[in-house]
Amino acid sequence: MIKDRRTIMTWPAMLTLLLFALFPLVIMFYTSFISDATGEFSMANYAKFFSNLTYIKVTGTSILISLCVTLVSLVIAYPLAYIMAKKLKGLKNIILVLVIIPFFTNQLVRVYSWLIFLQDGGILNRLFMTFGLAENGLGILYTKAAVIIGLTHAFFPYMVVTIFMALERLDDAMLEASRSLGASKTTTFMKVIFPLSMPGVISGVTIVFIPCLGSFVEPRILGGTGGLTIGNIIEDQFFEIYGWNFGAAIAFLLLAMVLICMGGLNSAGKRWQV
Amino acid sequence: MSNNNKTGVLGKILIILVLLYLYAPIFVLMLLSFNESRYNSLPFAFTLDWYRDLAEDRALMEAAKNSMVLALITGIICVILGTMFILGQRYLARRTEGIFNSIVMMPMSIPWLIMGLSSLLMIRQLGFEKNMIFVALGHIVISLPYSLLVLRARISSLDKSLEEMSASLGAGPLTTFRRITLPALAPAMIAGGFLSFMISFDNFPISYFLMPSGYSTLPIEIQLSIKFGFTPEINALSTVIIGFSLVVLAIVGLIMRSNIKSLVGGDN
Amino acid sequence: MKLAKKMLAFGMTAIMVLSMTACGGTKTAQESGSADADKGEVTKLYVVNWKDYLSDDKDFVEKFEKENNCEIVNTYMDSEEDLLTKLKTGGEGEIDVCLPNCSILPAAIEAGLLEPIDTAKVPNFEQLFERFQTQKECIGADGKLYAVPFVWGSTSIAYNTDNLKEAPASVKDFFDEKYKGRIAFRDDYNDAIMTAAMALGQDPNNPSDLDAIKALLIKQKALNKTYWQTGDEFSKLFASGQVDLGLMWSGQTATMRAEGQPIAFVVPADGGIGWVDNWAIPASSKNKDLAYKFINAMLDKDTQKAWVEKGGPAPANQAAAEALDPEYAKQCCIDEESLSHLVFMEYRTDEVKQTWNDLWTEVKAS
Repeated sequence: MIKDRRTIMTWPAMLTLLLFALFPLVIMFYTSFISDATGEFSMANYAKFFSNLTYIKVTGTSILISLCVTLVSLVIAYPLAYIMAKKLKGLKNIILVLVIIPFFTNQLVRVYSWLIFLQDGGILNRLFMTFGLAENGLGILYTKAAVIIGLTHAFFPYMVVTIFMALERLDDAMLEASRSLGASKTTTFMKVIFPLSMPGVISGVTIVFIPCLGSFVEPRILGGTGGLTIGNIIEDQFFEIYGWNFGAAIAFLLLAMVLICMGGLNSAGKRWQV
Repeated sequence: MSNNNKTGVLGKILIILVLLYLYAPIFVLMLLSFNESRYNSLPFAFTLDWYRDLAEDRALMEAAKNSMVLALITGIICVILGTMFILGQRYLARRTEGIFNSIVMMPMSIPWLIMGLSSLLMIRQLGFEKNMIFVALGHIVISLPYSLLVLRARISSLDKSLEEMSASLGAGPLTTFRRITLPALAPAMIAGGFLSFMISFDNFPISYFLMPSGYSTLPIEIQLSIKFGFTPEINALSTVIIGFSLVVLAIVGLIMRSNIKSLVGGDN
Repeated sequence: MKLAKKMLAFGMTAIMVLSMTACGGTKTAQESGSADADKGEVTKLYVVNWKDYLSDDKDFVEKFEKENNCEIVNTYMDSEEDLLTKLKTGGEGEIDVCLPNCSILPAAIEAGLLEPIDTAKVPNFEQLFERFQTQKECIGADGKLYAVPFVWGSTSIAYNTDNLKEAPASVKDFFDEKYKGRIAFRDDYNDAIMTAAMALGQDPNNPSDLDAIKALLIKQKALNKTYWQTGDEFSKLFASGQVDLGLMWSGQTATMRAEGQPIAFVVPADGGIGWVDNWAIPASSKNKDLAYKFINAMLDKDTQKAWVEKGGPAPANQAAAEALDPEYAKQCCIDEESLSHLVFMEYRTDEVKQTWNDLWTEVKAS
């Protein structure tokens, strides 16, 4: 099958992506080498990033928060997806819909609702007080915990969906076979189910980790004085002080980091599958 | 499934806890849309004022309309591009398929913040002015991978030989497409389009960077109101949107169940 | 194979049709704008302004539109930089009048984006406070006036009158341990650095020792409940009783008090940050005469007085300020005494902005 003409059908999508996703990134890469001050081609923007510990520190914090959110999401989403796919019969579609419905509200509004929900004197606080669990002021809001709660809420349902889809495709007959051949439940899970659901897990992790790393609204609203992320720094460069090219350089470094992480994750996932 | 009961109870607890976590803030926000206090403070005092204000807020309504149109265009184009891609992709050589695939899925592994700002840089570098077409393109590019994900899950269960068999039995390509391919893909196309619609409808970062002045979408209006004065009007709006999407969802669900399942032959 | 072609054709047609409808949408919007101007029925005056900032006030709009047989079309800006971008990228006739402040004015004047103001066409100009008639940033390098001060206000101390027995009397209170956990400082590099400079006795517009400022701000960080970023955030923090003290705008404090919050505003003797908003006419405006009329109406004594009484910012028109109830003026810190304590924000070069922003980023990341 050399050059099947039916492959033409892939072109419109490819063209759109090349022109409006890949090409802008090339431009971004180019502008990141242009100095904001002089307009000349230089490494100044990158030098600035690496010579200032602050940027590296904030990047580290952002990665850490994103990892936490991903991990928490995985711990919640996997068992949920597993139960939905393998234990529930008719109910699973209803639960799936219930998991998706919160997405119909705007993400910014949901973050805002968390703010109201978590604040001292807010609803959760009152609830805890009536049960005598908290004296005054929960002190959850304006901490990293609040950021993690908010971001997990924002993204983990995606992960439930991807893992659920991977698990649902598994053939029940195969699981029965594994069991009838004497494999224990744990063995079946470890050797059959989990490896086969790996593609779902990987897309789930991607779908949570990436947007977290780029988030800039949620941490600011929920994180208080400690809510500074690399996304905020980029946003400030673009909207506060017009250091677009320096912003582009930080964005490119963030992108490079993301790609390295994803590459690592994908190869790790493949190893697991084999 | 021997000791189904034990996992059953634990599973139920897990499901209930997750749903509680998911719905607690949503419930709060819906509740506060009926609360009198502008600062969302308690105690609760019932009012419908915020809904009346919402109905009279022209800027917000205009933004809602823009969001809807934008999301609709994004959803439709994503389904078309995605379906074509997924059909054509099967005939690609293995290596090309890998490359094509990674390019098309690329936006999924890039934070939207970066997608937005790189497009803005491109627009500026090439001397264009911001306009709605760029916004729509930005939305399409980031939503496409999600609809592809759904479509791909479906197409892998569609046997290529079925189409070939149909062709060898004398069916024209269009007939084959209509009778075999389309019915098999339809649920995934609807689901994929729906997903793209939702991603576009809710998208803030891309619109934030690319929106020309004078235009606005719902997420942008909401961000502005977070900046300049968040009233329970936004809560009222969100409540309306949830109600509206529940209706849409119910309709989609009904169509999916009655029509398409019988077309596909009722497998899974 | 035919199938592929047909699908391709279908797909392409669909994309083209859709993108054309999208194009069509934008085009008609523009066309209808110019078509109206051509017909000369009702002239449209394109205003770029903050939301809820008088140009969209129902009473004002009705009166002005009726008197001048025109229609005011408001576009809202979300930051000063946003306005500068709009001025730079906006085409001929897209903006007729806009509201820049000191942070972008010199840049806009230098780039030739603004029209010199002929004060003869703004009769109310003479009623402005003396200091506003000679506002530094409004005057270009050529000595010409490019913008007319409209309103001013201050960023200083707002506090809870129920919880604090004594009114704060100094900016140093933001750095005082006794308010630990009850302060909401503003997340803004300019206000943060200027306030710290005042507390340290440095010149807020040209601080001499940035390291000391940074150290002070880092120490201050732990005293905050949070940094507030948006006015709405502050009002909710305050209304829910989470903070007692904040670095806040005079205007919003007045609004909150009008709504019954136990809040008061002080500009202490050791300083407060002042700002001025100015009207300017873009060089590309096609309705300059109408724009002049609009600016003059904006400076009108009665209009300004009425707005400030509704909770608007302080009037630049001296006659309007003097016509106010002195008690009310003092409470809102728009009296002459408060004015004399203020240090007005000055223009900062990109380099200074970058340095200050870096400093503030370091404080927040510490």
